[in-house]
Order: sequence, then structure tokens, then C-alpha cells
Amino acid sequence: MARWRYAKAPAVRRSGPPRRNVPDRGDDRGGIVYGPGVTAATFRTILPRVRRRRSPLSRWYRRNERTVLGVAGVVAFFAAWQVGSDAGLIERFFFSSPGAVLAAAVGEVQVPRFWNDVRISALELGVGSFLSLVTAVPLGIAIGWYRRVSLTLDPWLNFLQALPRVALIPLAVLWVGLGWDMKATIAFLGGFVSIIVPTVEGVRTVDQQLLDVARSFRASERRIFTSLVIPGTLPFIVTGIRLAVGRVLAGVIIAEFYAQTEGLGVLIAKAEASLQSDRMLFGVLIFTLVGIVLTEAVGYVERYLQRWRPSLDVEEGLT
Amino acid sequence: MSADTALSARGVRMEYRDRNTNQPLLAIEDVDLDLAEGEFVALLGPSGCGKSTFLKIVNGLLKATAGEIRLRKGRKGREDAMVFQDAALFPWYSVLDNVAYGLVCAGVPRREARRRALPLIELVGLTGFAEKYPYQLSGGMQQRANLARALAVDAEILLMDEPFASLDAQTREDMQAELLRIWTAAKKTVLFVTHQIDEAVYLSDRVIVMAARPGRVIADIAIELPRPRELDVKLTPEFVRYEQRIWELIARQRPTTATAAGTQTRT
Amino acid sequence: MSLAEAAQLASRGHPPRLRRLLAIGGASERLLYGSVGLVGLTVIWEVTSGLGLYRRSLLSSPSLIWSAAVTDFGSGTIWPHIAVSLNEFAIGSLVAFAVGIPLGFAIGLFRRLDYFASVLLAGLYATPNVALIPLIVLVAGIGLESKVIVVFLSTFFSIVVSTVSGVHSVARRHIEITRSFGGSQWLAFRSVVLPSTIPFILSGIRIGAGRALVGVVSAEFLSANVGLGFYISLYGQFLDTSRVMLGIVLFGLFGIVIGELVRVVERRFEAWRPEIH
Repeated sequence: MARWRYAKAPAVRRSGPPRRNVPDRGDDRGGIVYGPGVTAATFRTILPRVRRRRSPLSRWYRRNERTVLGVAGVVAFFAAWQVGSDAGLIERFFFSSPGAVLAAAVGEVQVPRFWNDVRISALELGVGSFLSLVTAVPLGIAIGWYRRVSLTLDPWLNFLQALPRVALIPLAVLWVGLGWDMKATIAFLGGFVSIIVPTVEGVRTVDQQLLDVARSFRASERRIFTSLVIPGTLPFIVTGIRLAVGRVLAGVIIAEFYAQTEGLGVLIAKAEASLQSDRMLFGVLIFTLVGIVLTEAVGYVERYLQRWRPSLDVEEGLT
Repeated sequence: MSADTALSARGVRMEYRDRNTNQPLLAIEDVDLDLAEGEFVALLGPSGCGKSTFLKIVNGLLKATAGEIRLRKGRKGREDAMVFQDAALFPWYSVLDNVAYGLVCAGVPRREARRRALPLIELVGLTGFAEKYPYQLSGGMQQRANLARALAVDAEILLMDEPFASLDAQTREDMQAELLRIWTAAKKTVLFVTHQIDEAVYLSDRVIVMAARPGRVIADIAIELPRPRELDVKLTPEFVRYEQRIWELIARQRPTTATAAGTQTRT
Repeated sequence: MSLAEAAQLASRGHPPRLRRLLAIGGASERLLYGSVGLVGLTVIWEVTSGLGLYRRSLLSSPSLIWSAAVTDFGSGTIWPHIAVSLNEFAIGSLVAFAVGIPLGFAIGLFRRLDYFASVLLAGLYATPNVALIPLIVLVAGIGLESKVIVVFLSTFFSIVVSTVSGVHSVARRHIEITRSFGGSQWLAFRSVVLPSTIPFILSGIRIGAGRALVGVVSAEFLSANVGLGFYISLYGQFLDTSRVMLGIVLFGLFGIVIGELVRVVERRFEAWRPEIH
């Protein structure tokens, strides 16, 4: 152990031994007694906090401030919208009003054609997503597992990820026409890319410590694969699914707008054409709700799986 | 209070209100304290005894419920500077910018602050690391930078909040010796918070022992070991006797654990 | 797509010690295999299209795409489309930055504003922007403005959400340090909040750019008479697969370039993060 040499300063800093703590209470509860040559001005005084009485209402508000303000925010939005619409400040023609959208909603759900549209959109979404999931996951795992394969395909995967999949719609039309299968294809492409990229990433990266543990127990490559890589990749896959939800939904919407044959997107487009913004917004609302519900559901699963995992460096976006 | 008092606290009390049950919690109950200029005083106690809270009150990060504290005004600037426990450096600043930060906060222009910070980097033994980023430094080195930052503002009183708690045992001991070297050169008043008895006894002129629930001072022990102190003073019988005394004081506050083993004898 | 996703961004601050399982060694190996993949698949593509295994019209071929490119770039017909799309993207994004980043800071720093706006923000973030395109076109016409608005909306929410998340992730200890040494709140903002938040903002920009690109394409598909998306859909109707593929390739390249740009900015502003290296 190194010996430290001290500076040549005096060993004791004051004359005499160190002083005990002698609180000079003086004659009052805690008054300060000043010695010779010292006045109050020599010191800066730190004073305690001034306590304020709070009414019970104020206390309740402080505890629930987040909910109160959150609700207020949403209410304010819709109220402003409605009032603005009624007062003519907001062009009813374009933006409708909450009330009108609600009324349109009530009207629409009673019409069988609406449910037909819903069915078709759901079909497109469901088939596309399902197919993308069952192809992207095994393929992604296979690609990620074989290093050379993943390196070789990297440029193409990066390209596909950077590309907005909706750009493929005209291509899909060239392939399969304008029916529901075109939209399912777009849904498939959107989901496929969104899922395969994180999956490959997940297989390629693994916790170094766990790898060492497995190797020290002489685990076979297969054992490592099933017990380490697969569970480790699962959160990545789920993240990919969460990202896919938004992409797939957007894909279906645009595809339906583009093709104008059937589906909820067509409801929106036709409502726009006939200048019925309330029905149009109703359609938008449905998609929004579906998006929120699905994303939250997947997000829930994702957070559950991530309880043991510190973090994920995967996100949507370009490359 | 006399001419060489650096810090004087009277009746300091800290109460919290439990957010859920609305019960009052007493963190510190009626602490009186005096620090003379140039003294090295340790605040020692188990977790929950309010020692860090007291330090934060002095530094101004918390406001006490009652009581007063007086700090001797320095020639310029703040009277006190704090050395934090962890996450203490800004990862996006170089070491030099971190050390200069205290000065920047005090209003010194950046260039001047950097100029003044440079000699301190040498003082704490970080020569050559001025332009490195914190992630490139070890834990001990980061704490040296932490210390340098507090020294740079040239405040009379150094408040140290368990600065070595996150270091491994070896580095910790080296840093203790380093700290004494730097303190002797810099001539500051130090209030050092720790929960390690040997650290308190080794470093300080006086050890103020605190107990928890509620936080209060239970003893003020003068350490009359000669200076300069080398690390091997920890093995001397006088040192061990101080440790034992303090240990018993603390143990007496926890009846359940102390009596279980009967009278404690330290090896 | 909610603030939970934004919380995802927050976790970016502490990556675990991950290592490539199969020890992907050096950049040279990556380059080698990558090039092989790029060239190889292109060659396979060219060859198989010549063999007539499938109709040319489905996928075209690299050579046809190349000649279409040469023609359209040479004659200059494609430049206006590219320029317009770029314009829409740039203007919409810049306005979104200019409005979104300060707003994000404001929401992140002022607790009351945060509570008030966050539910709304999450809801709007989750709305598929593309569904609003017909409405936007209705209001703003089929010119540049409507596309800029689409790009703006796509980027704006992403940036606000990520900026807020970044502000929330600021370590309390760092603010304490500034207060401890007597620094002002403004100094705390400049020296603590801003540097801490930049990684999150850049993340948000990356996400937003991806969405903006989708917005540009969609808006141009649905109602435009100029632009790269229009180019694709136009030639789609003419059954000119080569030009359709050309447009797709250009969009892909555009996306890659934007991604790289963000990475460059990250390296410049985040040199202090060990992960960046």
C-alpha cells in the first residue's frame, strides 16, 4: 500500500487540542451568544421553512392533480371543438363537431353495409398481420442465427426498413389487383418488415454474461439457442409487433383509399367525396381506437416481458 | 460563537409528512452543532439518522422545519460547497468542464472558470484527464473530480455526503488518505457524513455520533490522534479503542441487536 | 403508440451489456458480406427475370430499372417530382421541429401543463395520420400545403412526445448539483436539461422522419399531380413496373440517407455517450 507523504503544514491547525461541541445556549431556548469580535453580520443565517396551512380541498387537489388536469384537458379539447363548431369559428363543413360525429356513429352502426366494410377491413388486417407474424418470426430467427446470412441480407433489410411500405401499394396493385387481397398484401409487407428486423437484431445480440454462463456449463449450440436466444429474442419480437400494429393499420388505410373498392377506408373516402365530414371523422375515430387498443394491448405484453430485461434498443424509424 | 466558528447550528429539526398516511415523520430532532474553522468533523450514524438531511439543509437543498444555522461569510461567493455521493458528474461535460461547473454556477465566465479549475485537477491527481469524459474514468477518479469541483469554488466549508460510499474497499482507503492530503493543502473546514466508523475516526478531529428514529446527536467525541495520519494508524490500539467506543454508543441505541451477542468485543 | 412507447425511448439511456452473439467481427467483414448480398441478389434478380420464371411486369429487372432511371434523369422529367417531395418533407419537418421541440420542453418542464396535455397528446400520437389525409386535402387543396401539413402532423407528435420523455428522464441529482452551487434555473436548463434531452429528441426525429415519409407517399398517392409518390402511382396506372420500382428504390434510398444524417448528428452531439462509439 502506498504511503502518502503529507505537506509540511503544521500537524494541528489551531492552538490547543480540538474543541468539544459546547452549545452556548445562553439563557434562552436556542439563542445564539456571540463572543468577542463577532457580530451577526459576520454570518449568513439559514432560516427554517415557513409552514402554511392548507385547506382540505387544496390538499385533495394536490393529491389528485394529475387526474383532474388530465380529464380537464380532454374535456377542454372536445368542448372547444363543439363550441367552436356551434359558434362558427370552426368550419363545420370541414371539421364537424363531436356531437355530429357521435350522431353519425349512431347512424352508421345501424346500417349493414357498415358492418360489411368493417368485416372486410378486419379480414385484410387479420390475414395480413397473421401471415406476416408466422413468416417473419421464423425467418428472422433463422437469418439472425446464421451470421453470414444476416450480414449478407443486411443491406436489403435496411433498405426495406427505410422504405415506407405504403410506397409498395401500386406494385401490389400490379400484382393482385384492387381487391381485399391487395390490402392484405400491404398489411403483410408492413408487418413483415417491422417484425423481422427487430427479430434479427434480437437473435444477434445476447447478454454477454449469460452467454459466458452457458459456455462454462458446456451447453451445446442447440441448448444455447433454445434456452438463451429464443427467450431473449421474445421481447424484441413483441416490440416488433407493437411497431407493426401502427404500420399495418396505416398500410390498410392508405391501400383502401387508393383502391376505393371496399372497407372502412372507403367509407372515409366516400364520406369525403360527398362532403360528409362527420361520417369521415367517425371512420377515422374507429381506426384510431383500434390502433390505440391494439398498441396498448401489445405494449402491456411487452412491458410484462420486459420486467426482467433492463432495456431494449429497438425502435421504429429509419434503419 | 466565537471568532473562529465556521458553522453554528441550533435546534435544527426536520419533519416530513407521509404522503399517504399524512403522519408526521421526524427525520431530525433538535440538533446543535458547532464547527470551528479548519476543523474536520465527521457526522457518523446509521442510515435514517438524518445526517445527509442535515447536510442538505446546510447546503440549502432542503429547508428545515425549525432551527437556525449560521455560516461564516467568506471573502467571496458561497460559504459552502457540497461533494455528492454518486451520479455526481455531468456525463456530457469533460472533466475540466465538470470541475469548472461550480464556478460557472457562481457566475464566473466559462473561460475564466476553466482556467481556475485546471490547477485543481492537478491537486486531486487527475493530471492529463482534463478533456476526458466521465465514462472514461473509474469510480475513484470520478469522485476526485467531484471533490475538485467543490474545491474550485473556494468555499470555506466543504460538505461531503458519503463521497466514498460507492467505491470498492481498496479505492476507498486510498481516497481517504488522498482526502487528508488535499485537506491539509487546501485548509478547509470539512463536515463529512459517513456511516463507516473507521472512516470517521481516521479522517476527523471530532466525530459527532448520531442515532436514528428520530435523528439526533448522541455524542461528540474528540479524536486525539496525531496528524499527519497514515493509513496504518487504523491498526493502532488507540484507533481501535475509539472505534469500539463509538460502536458501543451506536449499539446501545439498538437494544435488540446489541444484547443478542452480549458484550461486543472487536478483534 | 402511446406515451408508453415514449417510455421506451426513455429506456434508451441505459443499455445492458449486450454483445453480438456470433461475434460479428470488424467492419470489413460486414462490408464484404453486405456487398456480396447487394450485388448477388441483384444479379440473381436480373438473371431470373431474363429466364421468364415470372412475368416481367411483376418485378421488372435491374437493367430495365436502370434504363428507366437513365432516361428519366437524363431528360430531367423526374427531377421536379423529387424536388417537390423533398420540399414537402423538409418544410413540414422543419416547422415540426420549430414548434414541437419548444412545446416538448414546455410540457416536460411545467408539470401542470404536462398533466393537462398528456392524455390528449397520447391520443393524437396514436391517431393514424394517414386517415386524416382526405380531411386535410379537403381543407388545404391538393397542392404543396396539404402535404406539408401531413408531414408536419406526422413528425410533430413524435417530436413532442420524445422531447417530453427526454425532459422527464433528467436525473434529479444533476439538477440538485446546479442548485447546490447556486446556479440559476436558466443555467440548469442550458447545462443539464438540454444535453440530457438531446438523445431523446434525435430519437424522436428519427421516428418522426419515418412517419413523415409515409405521409409524403400517402398524400401524393391520394391527391397530387407532382411528386415522387405521384410518379409511382402514375406509372402504376400505366403498368410501367420499371418506373414504379425506380420510385420505390428512390424512396428507400431517401430513407437511408435521412437515417444516416440523424446518425451523423447523433455522433456530433452525443460524443459523451459510450454507446455511440
